[in-house]
Amino acid sequence: MNNSEFTIPFRYKTDRSSPTRWLISHTIHLWLPFLVAVIGAIGNAALAGVPAIQFGRAYDNLTSGTPLRQVLIQSAVLILLTQVGRGLFQFFRNFGFEITAQQIERNVREEFYINLLGKSMTFHSLQSIGDLMARATNDIREVNYIFSPGINNVLGSINFLFIPITVAAGIHPALLATPLAFLLLYVLSIIHYLRVLKPVTEKVRATFGTMNSRLAEDIDGIETVKAAGQEAKEITLFQSNIKAYRDASVEQGDIEARFMPLLLLALAMGFGLAHAIFLARRGEIGMGMVLTYFSSLALLNFPTNSSIRSYSQISLGMAGARRLLKIMNTENNLDENEQGFSQRIQGEVAFSGVTFSYTPESKALQDVTLQVHPGQTVAIVGQTGSGKTTLIRLINRTFDPDEGQVMVDGVNLRDWKLDSLRSQISIIEQDIFLFSRSVAENIAFGKPEATLEEIQEAARKAQAESFILELDEGYETVIGERGATLSGGQRQRLALARAFLTDPRILILDDSTSAIDSRTEDEIQKAIKLASEGRTTFIITHRLSQIRWADLIVVMKKGRISAIGRHEDLLQTSAAYRNIFSGD
Amino acid sequence: MAFHQGLAGESYDRQYSNEVLLERIRGYAAPYKTQLILMLITIILQGVFAALPPVFVSRVLDRAQAGTADNRMLTILVAAVIGIELAGFVFYYVIHRLLARVTADISRELSTDAFTAAMRQDMAFFDQYSSGKVVSRITSDTRDFVLLIQLTMDVASGIIQSLVVTVILLTTEWRLGLLLLSFVPVTILIVSSYRSLARRVTRDGMRALADVNATIKETISGISVAKNFRQEASVYQDFTHSNDVSYRINYRRGLVLSIVFPTIRILGGISLAALTYFGGMSVIQGLISAGAWYMILLSSDRFLNPIMSVTSYWTQIQTGLAAAERVFALIDSKHTVKQTGAYIPESLTGKIDFEKLTFRYSSGLEVLKNFDLHISPGENVAIVGHTGAGKSSIARLITRFYEFQEGQLRIDSRDIREYDLIGLRQHMGIVTQVPFLFDGTVLENIRFAAPEISPEEVLRLAKRIGSGEWLETLSHGLETEVGERGAQISMGQRQLVALMRVLAHHPSIFILDEATASIDPFTEKQIQEALNLILAQSTSVLIAHRLSTVTSADRIIVLDKGEILEEGTHQSLLKRGGNYAELYETYFRHQSLAYVEEAGTLFRGKSSGMRQNPTAP
Repeated sequence: MNNSEFTIPFRYKTDRSSPTRWLISHTIHLWLPFLVAVIGAIGNAALAGVPAIQFGRAYDNLTSGTPLRQVLIQSAVLILLTQVGRGLFQFFRNFGFEITAQQIERNVREEFYINLLGKSMTFHSLQSIGDLMARATNDIREVNYIFSPGINNVLGSINFLFIPITVAAGIHPALLATPLAFLLLYVLSIIHYLRVLKPVTEKVRATFGTMNSRLAEDIDGIETVKAAGQEAKEITLFQSNIKAYRDASVEQGDIEARFMPLLLLALAMGFGLAHAIFLARRGEIGMGMVLTYFSSLALLNFPTNSSIRSYSQISLGMAGARRLLKIMNTENNLDENEQGFSQRIQGEVAFSGVTFSYTPESKALQDVTLQVHPGQTVAIVGQTGSGKTTLIRLINRTFDPDEGQVMVDGVNLRDWKLDSLRSQISIIEQDIFLFSRSVAENIAFGKPEATLEEIQEAARKAQAESFILELDEGYETVIGERGATLSGGQRQRLALARAFLTDPRILILDDSTSAIDSRTEDEIQKAIKLASEGRTTFIITHRLSQIRWADLIVVMKKGRISAIGRHEDLLQTSAAYRNIFSGD
Repeated sequence: MAFHQGLAGESYDRQYSNEVLLERIRGYAAPYKTQLILMLITIILQGVFAALPPVFVSRVLDRAQAGTADNRMLTILVAAVIGIELAGFVFYYVIHRLLARVTADISRELSTDAFTAAMRQDMAFFDQYSSGKVVSRITSDTRDFVLLIQLTMDVASGIIQSLVVTVILLTTEWRLGLLLLSFVPVTILIVSSYRSLARRVTRDGMRALADVNATIKETISGISVAKNFRQEASVYQDFTHSNDVSYRINYRRGLVLSIVFPTIRILGGISLAALTYFGGMSVIQGLISAGAWYMILLSSDRFLNPIMSVTSYWTQIQTGLAAAERVFALIDSKHTVKQTGAYIPESLTGKIDFEKLTFRYSSGLEVLKNFDLHISPGENVAIVGHTGAGKSSIARLITRFYEFQEGQLRIDSRDIREYDLIGLRQHMGIVTQVPFLFDGTVLENIRFAAPEISPEEVLRLAKRIGSGEWLETLSHGLETEVGERGAQISMGQRQLVALMRVLAHHPSIFILDEATASIDPFTEKQIQEALNLILAQSTSVLIAHRLSTVTSADRIIVLDKGEILEEGTHQSLLKRGGNYAELYETYFRHQSLAYVEEAGTLFRGKSSGMRQNPTAP
């Protein structure tokens, strides 16, 4: 069964059962750059051993009594060639990992976005947009960093741990002791280091966060601070916040100062040298071998110094991958009901005994019953959190009620074909989102094939034409983040124009704009009035005039209907209602 | 008169000469003199010790080779190598610990000074500079600055190491030393030319990325709208386009950034091969020993690496100095509001007198000229007028957020300049247009200006508004967390909390810049109730946007271009049919109950007729 509301095939299939498997299933498809990178990493490290061997060979030659220039030239040329070769390998490594990382970022983001498009309206109405954005930008970037510099540095430097082992094996088995011991202790101390460091870096981040957010609040709310004469108190608070941050930073510095691999490196170099000299004195190896061995031990410097950061980079990236998977693996729980009821909506809406809750602790709606006739205009009033928004979201089946049922034209919503139902219901949200496209394209968003005449007609009905024509390029003006900015009232009228074009059978309007001047108010009133003609309309509103003249007024309080009826009825039955219409 | 310069003299960012800058930095470093000197000594030792191991290793080799050394000698030399390496670890440990403390402490002091300076600044300052930028001076610029200390230490250590190596090389075999030195200019050239290339691709990348990120954000915000109209395919197009652009930019940037280390590696390889050959020839010619030859090879990395890092740190050092300059500029920025006295009033009656007052913004824009206004104790005055009429300026002069240029402003018949600012504001309650709440509970926010008031008292006051019903709409009553900037509670609730703050504080003078946001009618009623309670207890200056607020004032002032056109009560002014009547028609008519009644007939039906004349009425 396909649970997705919208499907585009992603370029390949991925395994989302765990972050590691998921990343591997992506990497498999990028095998070429990854292979290049791995070959680069191995080649780079392998060639690093050559100078060590050549040093020994040249040394033996120089100290042989009859040194040959020939041998010296050979060694020098070999060093030159291998080091240039190393440069090339290193480039393959860096570039290979870089390409892998960038492609992963692009592909993961595409996969994530396709997944979001397939999610249900329920999901999107519950998920904060800011959070999704953070995941689509920061978390995906962190996943990129797993590969470059993360794996690039780790793989690139870990190889060097094996060079002295290989070299030692070729010289004398006893010499394996130092590099093997180093390898073992190195791994243990890195694990220990990361484990100790983690809580402290978290503390550093947390204390900085606390300090920074209060600081930002103080600067933003400076007028409030000054008006209350609380500058001194805020400075004291800042001092204690920054003290906590300072202490955490020092703690982190102290841990970093005890970076044991440095100590291990010092010991390995010293003992390695002593051991090799000892063997040479016993005549078991030549002096050239001592040089070769010591030079190869010096290569341990790379994994000691360059990969510390990379481990935390990888762990951050894995955390990002987990967060992405969490979203992608969230199930869609509403079914499409492809075989369901499909017909032109007349506009009758009925709630009977509807109860709904987002969380088990508190009920957002409780025992809501109401009956709306086709073409009626319903005003929904109440304080923030009284359940107004939840009520309207049940109408287009963003959510299914826990108890009771919602019916359109006498048919339970669960029996409607979801697509048929939703395509006839239009919602204008409280925050109206406009795309960075032209005014005309924004109006025609729900009906891309609309002609300019149709668009203009819709704009006129929405009382939007007068301000559209005042914009620099009229209907062609680009709006949004990188274009003209519009006021809340203007955005609302563009959204109404959208609705005029798509001509829904049920219109739901979450209206919370406020007009500064009476003329704008006139226009908004007129636009909404026109929009509500010939269709069932639900308006969440603060406007007394809309409440006053609605066919049905629903007063919500703490998830229940506290009063319902026409204006005249409510004046009689509800004291709270009467109060808001009293003059003083 | 210099004294009455007001806002015009504001200059914030300034250029410090290097001497002044270093002097200031020294001031912050001075308390840590001992630690810094200790660090410097350790760093010198570290640099010297880091250069030494090859010397000892080469001695060991030479002795072992010649077979002349006894075991004792060899043991001593090997022990020396181990000792030197261990000392290197100890130096690292000492430097790192000292550095962590010194940088954390200096950064703390610098941040605290910058924050204190910001808190003491006038409002005019914050009008001019975005809060984000001020915050970043206090946190990230101070961090960039202490990074400078860290870099200086690294650079110093590197330079010392290179110097010691140079001396060793030159005394061992000066020709080989010169050979190695000849790589210095080449390294510097390569690293610095690469640096500018990298900076360019990075900057281009950043700029393009900001664009791409914006598109990604937009396409994500657009998903729910797209779903509403079943237009998913259309937003998907936008998304993939920008995602691919992002990939191409990063790809190019990755290519450039991948080149640098391999290039340096190749350069190092060339120098190593050259030293192998020429050094070997010197051995054959008997100029140096074979051990010395190996020493030179081992030293070549120890010589070139520090030079590479010094070169690449140069930009960061400049960044650090620029950051220091920005922080000092914030600390040194001048105040414009100047007090001549420090009188702390016990209480105020709330009498306010503007006399022939002239006020200009720093831009030179004149807001008030020869302005006269007298408000008696306990009076409630509403100020109405178009945007830019000077309404907010009146409020902000009374709170002494701004300096005026000419004339007099007296509170309780005393020149406002003679008061202690905090002492004066303790008797004022201010509600700004967008009420500002701090992260914390509702209770904490209400007690913000009056920490001495008890929670029971707050609860008692809260219940006087709408019989406390508003508390029930908050999930945990007074203990509800409001979130950063109050984001977790509704706009109406935020306004109620801001008004409660004033009620709890019980000031003599109340200043309200009324919000324009739309609030549900039930909460609106409660806000009106809270307002009425405050009006009854204070002298009030109301910049009114709501009809109910205007009508509840004792006196309405109609302001235009800094001048009072009309004053009187709502009824009398309406009757007069002058400027107030016009303002009423523009801003307040639609809030009246009469309008609500008319709306039913005004906009009924007749869509065909409307279409003819879309802009009417």
